[in-house]
Amino acid sequence: MTTEKFKYDNRIVRAFAIATVIWGLVGFLAGLLIACQLFFPDLNLNLQYTSFGRLRPLHTNAVIFAFVGNGVFMGIYYSLQRLCKARMFSDALSWINFWGWQAIIVSAAVTLPLGLTTSKEYAELEWPIDIAIAAVWVVFTVNLLGTIVKRREKHIYVAIWFYIATAVTVALLHIVNSLEIPASAFKSYSIYAGVQDALVQWWYGHNAVAFFLTTPYLGLMYYFLPKAANRPVFSYRLSIIHFWGLIFIYIWAGPHHLLYTALPDWAQSLGMVFSLMLIAPSWGGMLNGLLTLRGAWDRVRQDPMLKFMVVAITAYGMATLEGPMLAIKSVNSLSHYTDWTIAHVHTGALGWNGFLTFSVLYYLFPRLYRTSLYSVKLANWHFWVALLGMMFYVVPMYWSGITQGLMWKQFNSDGFLQYPNFLETVLQLFPMYRLRAIGGSLYIVGAVLMAYNLWKTARSGSFEPDTEVQVAVDRSASHAGGDSGRFAWGHRWLEARPLTMTVLALVAVLIGGLVEMVPMFLIRENVPTITSVKPYTPLEMMGRDIYIREGCVSCHSQMVRPFRSETERYGEYSKSGEFVYDHPFLWGSKRTGPDLHRVGGKYPDAWHFNHMDNPRSTSPGSLMPRYSWLLTQTIDTNAVAPRIRALRRTGVPYPPGYESRAMEDLRLQAGKVVTNLQSGAIKAKPDREIIALIAYLQRLGTDIKAAGATTTATAGN
Amino acid sequence: MIKNVLSEIGGVGLYGAVSICLFFGVFTGAVLWAFAHRAGFLAAMGEMPLHDEDCVVNPSGKGASHE
Repeated sequence: MTTEKFKYDNRIVRAFAIATVIWGLVGFLAGLLIACQLFFPDLNLNLQYTSFGRLRPLHTNAVIFAFVGNGVFMGIYYSLQRLCKARMFSDALSWINFWGWQAIIVSAAVTLPLGLTTSKEYAELEWPIDIAIAAVWVVFTVNLLGTIVKRREKHIYVAIWFYIATAVTVALLHIVNSLEIPASAFKSYSIYAGVQDALVQWWYGHNAVAFFLTTPYLGLMYYFLPKAANRPVFSYRLSIIHFWGLIFIYIWAGPHHLLYTALPDWAQSLGMVFSLMLIAPSWGGMLNGLLTLRGAWDRVRQDPMLKFMVVAITAYGMATLEGPMLAIKSVNSLSHYTDWTIAHVHTGALGWNGFLTFSVLYYLFPRLYRTSLYSVKLANWHFWVALLGMMFYVVPMYWSGITQGLMWKQFNSDGFLQYPNFLETVLQLFPMYRLRAIGGSLYIVGAVLMAYNLWKTARSGSFEPDTEVQVAVDRSASHAGGDSGRFAWGHRWLEARPLTMTVLALVAVLIGGLVEMVPMFLIRENVPTITSVKPYTPLEMMGRDIYIREGCVSCHSQMVRPFRSETERYGEYSKSGEFVYDHPFLWGSKRTGPDLHRVGGKYPDAWHFNHMDNPRSTSPGSLMPRYSWLLTQTIDTNAVAPRIRALRRTGVPYPPGYESRAMEDLRLQAGKVVTNLQSGAIKAKPDREIIALIAYLQRLGTDIKAAGATTTATAGN
Repeated sequence: MIKNVLSEIGGVGLYGAVSICLFFGVFTGAVLWAFAHRAGFLAAMGEMPLHDEDCVVNPSGKGASHE
């Protein structure tokens, strides 16, 4: 037994903590702005860089990867060192992790308003940034595992298992979903098409929620809650079941985001069943957290940190019960594409992630600065204002979602849609959107109070860059093997072997992914092709890329579900074979505006021209932003050839050498659109972006109407 | 070869049955595994976060109390 002295690195924890506060405020403000744009469209400023479609992914990325991401690193870098009784594996890797992550966030903040996006939700960043994310994540993972390997504590506490699962699974999800063929420095196409792209994207999207917003935060809960309550976790045994049950089941549930779509029925059912199973481990974890406070509830009244923690865990319980309920197909048929999903997501984001992060920040700042919190009273004000803000956010969104879902489905006594004009259903929601903005504002006021409180706390203390530690270490018993006193087996044996545990966690998450994806990609019946479905023309391809650039997918789905209420409103329901050349898929997840899959041929070209210039000229009361810059900006013709080459590499059957003739076809089709516009008394130049967008919109959903369309079960591309 | 084998699978409902079995297998395994531990070991593991500051040299009296 020897005594060893070393130091915990507090500088890196402080850096991530400050970044968490700053990016949190930025992300919340971006959210408030886009929330206000929905009832006051002038706030889009008629500028392409500030339009809803481009700022919405900025908000989601800022909150998920900047606020929560930095919060995750902050909590892990603090707790990991103390649980392992070791300084981080490498200070250099810690700082590469920090500055690399901040650079990624800044690059997202620049590229997304510029319209550089893949359009895949929570994976919008283009391929060079994707590579940077993978590199920084590998740095973090090496630093994490390196610290665990050099630890002075024999066993690995449950929080660290969650950190390991986070590290390996996020890397897997990010790499698989980001496989794309570059067409230029900031433009790429997903290697997957249509229904397969949808499955991969929602396998990623669902598990980004699971392994970026949930598992690391469960790790933080298992560490910071016992410390705040000053008592051990209620049941360590339950935490073992919680961990393995959660990581094994979560990965299967992705298809519940695609219920009633063109995804094969067996995959939808699999996603639904596993979503219901997910209640068991999720609630096991929630109860484990809440019961940790048994006998300490009196302290919850006094300690704002515990108040935040209790609401966070309760919100986790609510969201993880509601999620499986929403995955039941009959419930999903009402909730999907409405604000109900927004309410559900924000119960998790504002309640679970937000409140837990606030709790950890209130815990860390006094300790890092060796002082007391500047004002407990102010922290209590933060708590109540934020809680009120959360209520004002989610309750109107539930109301809005259920209202609109019911209106979409309502038929009158004659058997016609009660509200055939989609806009009628939107105008009903404006009061709820205004209330939501009040809720968001209150939440931000609370966050500003916290920032002030933490700043004053820092000013009143002195920062301790390193915490000096002295521990007695028995080097004769190896970390990996020694377990004196009894025969070591089972989880006790496994806990001492971090790398074995990492591999097993990876296997657990791989099983679900493979079972879903292998048949989806290889069994021919899953994606029957339709003979009349052809690749997009060069002009339509450029129009589709403008649709992607402007973030139209944020508000418009391209997936008519097989309900009478939808086929009456939009037309024939969508078939998987219609999307075989869609790189990426653009099915969307929210209908702030109507579905567009059958919009082709529905309106004249002149209607689209006027509508894009000013939506309120054709649809009075519409909340859609203006896109008047499309009327003046010219099509990037230099991009046509490389994009055709890139799409061919993904499997789209453009003939060899077609790129050299593509411009000719593009000009020919643009001329036809210009002629159509002239018949509507509109003079337009054929090289403008609006021409390409109109060509794309008029193509949507029309292939299947071509004479002689037949369905054959051939290999999906 | 594996691609050809999987391409010929008939009735993907098999995947549903296999997945349910896997779920119950993993869940039951985790429960049994968890209950195989001694209470003393579990109690010691649960206490781990509460004692990680014990070894700090010159600990600050402030900060820990939250006022």
